[in-house]
Amino acid sequence: MKKVHMLDVVVYVVLTISALLCLAPCINLLAMSVSGQTAIESGKVMFWPVDFTMQTFITLFKGTSILRSFKNSVIITVIGVCLNMAVTILAAYPLSRPYFWGRRTFSKLIVFTMLFGGGMIPTYTLVKQLGLIDTYAAIWLPGLISTYNMMVMRSFFENIPEDLSESARIDGCGEWRLLLKIILPLSKPVLAALTLFYGVAQWNTFMDVLLYINSAEKMNLAVFVQQMVQSQEALKQLQNVNPNEVIEVASEGIKSASTVVMVVPMLVVYPFIQKYFVKGIMLGAIKG
Amino acid sequence: MKQKSQQAIAVRAKNKHNFKRSIPLLIMFLPVILYYAIFKFEPMIGLIMAFQNFSLKKGFFGSEFVGLTNFQYIFETPIMLQVIKNTLVLGILNFVITFPFPILMALFINEVRTMWFKKTVQTIVYLPHFLSWVIVGSMCFTIFSQESGVVNNILKAITGETYPFLYKPVSWTAIFVGSSIWKETGFAAIIYLAALGGIDPTLYEAASLDGCSRVKQMIHVSIPCIAPTIIINLILKAGSIATVGFDQVYNLKTDPVMDVADVISTWVYRVGLQQMQFGISTAMGLFNSLLSLILVFTVNAIARKYDKSLW
Repeated sequence: MKKVHMLDVVVYVVLTISALLCLAPCINLLAMSVSGQTAIESGKVMFWPVDFTMQTFITLFKGTSILRSFKNSVIITVIGVCLNMAVTILAAYPLSRPYFWGRRTFSKLIVFTMLFGGGMIPTYTLVKQLGLIDTYAAIWLPGLISTYNMMVMRSFFENIPEDLSESARIDGCGEWRLLLKIILPLSKPVLAALTLFYGVAQWNTFMDVLLYINSAEKMNLAVFVQQMVQSQEALKQLQNVNPNEVIEVASEGIKSASTVVMVVPMLVVYPFIQKYFVKGIMLGAIKG
Repeated sequence: MKQKSQQAIAVRAKNKHNFKRSIPLLIMFLPVILYYAIFKFEPMIGLIMAFQNFSLKKGFFGSEFVGLTNFQYIFETPIMLQVIKNTLVLGILNFVITFPFPILMALFINEVRTMWFKKTVQTIVYLPHFLSWVIVGSMCFTIFSQESGVVNNILKAITGETYPFLYKPVSWTAIFVGSSIWKETGFAAIIYLAALGGIDPTLYEAASLDGCSRVKQMIHVSIPCIAPTIIINLILKAGSIATVGFDQVYNLKTDPVMDVADVISTWVYRVGLQQMQFGISTAMGLFNSLLSLILVFTVNAIARKYDKSLW
């Protein structure tokens, strides 16, 4: 019989525990969101629902504006990612061409913005002077390009064999056609990875909404959930909607349920695109 | 001499050629130039607010210049020194304690030979990175809740008493650092795994022929080979000591722990945007940016100095 190595035991045990620790809070949250009020309040709920009920979700969808926030988050994410990707490509492609005039100067200036910036208040006054307060443009424009993501894309473009673009150019291909017909179709892995990174960032965007969006009807899911979790006000509002109806939901339950609404779209998409983001990170790692 | 000037002419001609050839690229690049000029460099000009008694009505040109008064105010007010101290304490704890975990995780995952186990573990441990601090904050409040949280349920079963973990400074700080470890360890391990994957297998073979056990191979082959990656990460993360994330603090804070939890970013948000004191909050922000810039350059300089002795 093969001898079991001590190191293997340690490795498998430690990794199993780490994986369980990563899942435990998520499972606890799910269990909370579908458990009965008395079970939650008496502290019986651990990692399995007690007195299974969907009442919390029904109350959440009927009594609060969570659906509107959900819709806002979808709008912010879909349009935001399209803008992000378009402008990131427009930045990465010229910077990846060795003959691009001013390439080194532009690169240096752009890297400098990674190390130093104006910060929260000067950016806020700028957005205010541009008249973007309380519009989604204030969310989309200041974060149009993530410089790190742009660098990853640029190094991918640089690694596409020069011969391909050279022969296309001899055939009379212009820069735009070269980009659209040759470079982009060859860059699917990096495009997928960066779409995912931008998508997650837009879905989770929190501080910018807090800073620039004032009207409650434009709030995204992240700010909605945060208000649910941290302030009792939101829960009181919930009770004001139907004062005659006794709401039989635990506050912990409703907090968990709103968080679950924000997590679920991510969990659904995550397993399908996991292979792409690992590639995306690897590209960055090789460059760095 | 003649050759040199000819070379210069050739270079100039080439540059001219490049400029002409680059015109379509420059047109393509124009939105990017505008973006960086407006949203990245204009706010740097806006930093002059730090030296002004700024009001939105008067603008940059109308507001009165006050020299270094704002900075003087920051360094003379105990509350602000407390905020700076909090930032550094949380930043250093976060940096020092979280740093080794991804390295250990990568070394462990690298030892796994069962593919399905490896893939499953990787999928699970990368996941928390994609959850926002809003969600992680909500999870912490659920888990550590005194009435219905899992941790207090267990504690109650053992000792019969509960503890307000999120409302006491020490346990709050532990939760703060713990949440960083929980969220980022797996994802940060990816970069080390990439480095481990690039190690020449013959190194392990040679070590094994020399009688090195697998643990010794880990210490004498794996770790030295990923040392450059560790150093790069160390430099990149050094700047984060001074910039404790706004989202993380904002989503974990509770009123009783504000003495240790109020950091520069949350302070700037509260005083700058909620109380409209632009001058002083910009000064604080500028101080913070400069501090992280200095940290990055210092760590980089130290790393360069020990370049030869490390590997």
